[in-house]
Amino acid sequence: MNQKPRFGLYALVTLSVVISFFPIVWLILTSFKNTAGIYAWPPQYWPDPFTLENYISIFTNSPELLRYILNSFIVGVGTTAITLLLGGLSAYALSRLGMRFAGVLMVGILAVSMFPPVSLLPSLFQNFLNFGLLNTYTGLILAHAGLFLPFTVWMLASYFATLPVEIEEAARMDGMGFLRIFLTIVLPLSWPGFVATGLIVFIFSWNEFPLALVLMTQNAMRTAPVGISLYPGEYAFPWETISTATVLAIIPVLVITAIFQKQIVGGLTAGAGK
Amino acid sequence: MASVTLNQIGKAYGAVTAVEQFDLEIADGEFLVLLGPSGCGKSTTLRMIAGLESITHGDLMIGGKRVNDIDPKDRGVAMVFQNYALYPHKSVFDNMAMALKLQKMPKAEIAERVNGVADMLGLTPYLERKPAALSGGQRQRVAIGRAIVRTPEVFLFDEPLSNLDAKLRVKMRMELQELHGRMGVTSIYVTHDQVEAMTLADRIVILNGGKVAQIGTPREVYDHPATEFVAGFIGSPAMNFMSGRRTGDHWQIIDSDLVLHATERLQSTDPALTLGVRPEHLEVFAPEDAPEGPWVFDAKVKLAELLGADALLNLSVMGQPMLARVGGTDFPLAGQSVRVRIDPARLHAFHPKTGLSIHSEAKQ
Repeated sequence: MNQKPRFGLYALVTLSVVISFFPIVWLILTSFKNTAGIYAWPPQYWPDPFTLENYISIFTNSPELLRYILNSFIVGVGTTAITLLLGGLSAYALSRLGMRFAGVLMVGILAVSMFPPVSLLPSLFQNFLNFGLLNTYTGLILAHAGLFLPFTVWMLASYFATLPVEIEEAARMDGMGFLRIFLTIVLPLSWPGFVATGLIVFIFSWNEFPLALVLMTQNAMRTAPVGISLYPGEYAFPWETISTATVLAIIPVLVITAIFQKQIVGGLTAGAGK
Repeated sequence: MASVTLNQIGKAYGAVTAVEQFDLEIADGEFLVLLGPSGCGKSTTLRMIAGLESITHGDLMIGGKRVNDIDPKDRGVAMVFQNYALYPHKSVFDNMAMALKLQKMPKAEIAERVNGVADMLGLTPYLERKPAALSGGQRQRVAIGRAIVRTPEVFLFDEPLSNLDAKLRVKMRMELQELHGRMGVTSIYVTHDQVEAMTLADRIVILNGGKVAQIGTPREVYDHPATEFVAGFIGSPAMNFMSGRRTGDHWQIIDSDLVLHATERLQSTDPALTLGVRPEHLEVFAPEDAPEGPWVFDAKVKLAELLGADALLNLSVMGQPMLARVGGTDFPLAGQSVRVRIDPARLHAFHPKTGLSIHSEAKQ
């Protein structure tokens, strides 16, 4: 296995790391440049002068960024909570209750998620307008939950499939009902699966653009991606503000990922071995 | 404690029959073993009794009460699973106490019961541990303890020893035997291991393809197998079978020069039949020591395998391959000519088509 360093493999790994990290590194570097540095030709790689001015000015000039991030956070947490609750229960029902058409239902759920969300926008907008759900957290959380539920159901159902069913049968013999088995046995045992799925849903929701753009029209209700994308004025394109805001918007996701990293790895490799 | 009655019990999945309807009466305190190859319906039958599987046909009675539609927990049964099925995130104590907690038993009483059972099974030092920190044998003991704590009327065992290594399996088998002797609770035990079945059972139910092949004591199923399947399944190594055809008062064994005298005991109307004799019922002699008689034949040793106490001889008896089990000292080696005596009283005969014993047919 390891007698020969495999240069092809390393080259490929290096290449993919460079390609995926370049935009992020460039973004971070840009956030420390001044306007002249950003437009300098030939391009400036290391910020010169290195400045924290953008970070200071974004909090003084556009304090609404914090509001955007808070909105994203509320919507992300709400979406994650709802999808995990509903997705967990339905995935458990589909994988364990021995329903006759469980397989058909699973495929149906997958089929529904094939619609491009943009195609749903007009009717969604109209309905949300009628129900007074525009510019509410509830509204966007519902929309996101609907969007990401199929994914959640599939992820969790495949996780439940890795749990030995005998444990649940033993619980039944001990006298537990289905809901109790789910809460006291299945939930603790599939915790890594829930964390991994929840994290992915949170990131999806955090990044989601079209629904957030259309359903949250008031400035105070905008989520981070939408708010940041609307920074450009009519004549100017404030790269320093955009890059700084984007860096700030990434941080919460990074922090959460770091906290739950152990569980994600456990969740994604579940069933690989005992 | 209670008796268990299976009245025309059957299980079908749509058009597929998993267990064909059958009757069985399990006496109070009996140790009954369901034995058969995988896919024979033995686990399905046990799971129907447990309440984990719905019953398609028939009535299941425990202690004289029909329990078809009663929850598993209210049937008075406790089950031990093959892979232990312990709650991995709970301590040994909590694993054993779970059912009692759910019954809302007072805490002090739970502790007393769990501690008592743990003491009996030698689990007291491990009560605070998680199952992951126990060995396979200890885990299975916890699973058994979890069943005992509930003081069920019927114990159900689903291949409880299959995941253990050979040495531990023998030890646990004896513990189970001792436990049953001490507690005397009606037990239903599923296994594919005939040694477990023979040693533990009061009676064995042998299942094949969802049908009952035979119900009997270990001695009955060994001495008087009702079908060719049972004859081949019980006993190790398996019974020697040969296809024969009766001509006059002789059986000509197909594809060999072996001709046997048709005995009175095994008469049937159909001239074609399958004859069987167990490897341990063949006597092998050196040619010069061999007795004379109509049941002694020339044979050649093709392969000799020493097992320790015993040896297995692969023989060609007048061209008919047979396996003989002989003592492990001073046995003939490969290539040697020998004489073989078949014990006619130990000869079995089966209908080649139905597989039914000619003996059992005569009785019917």
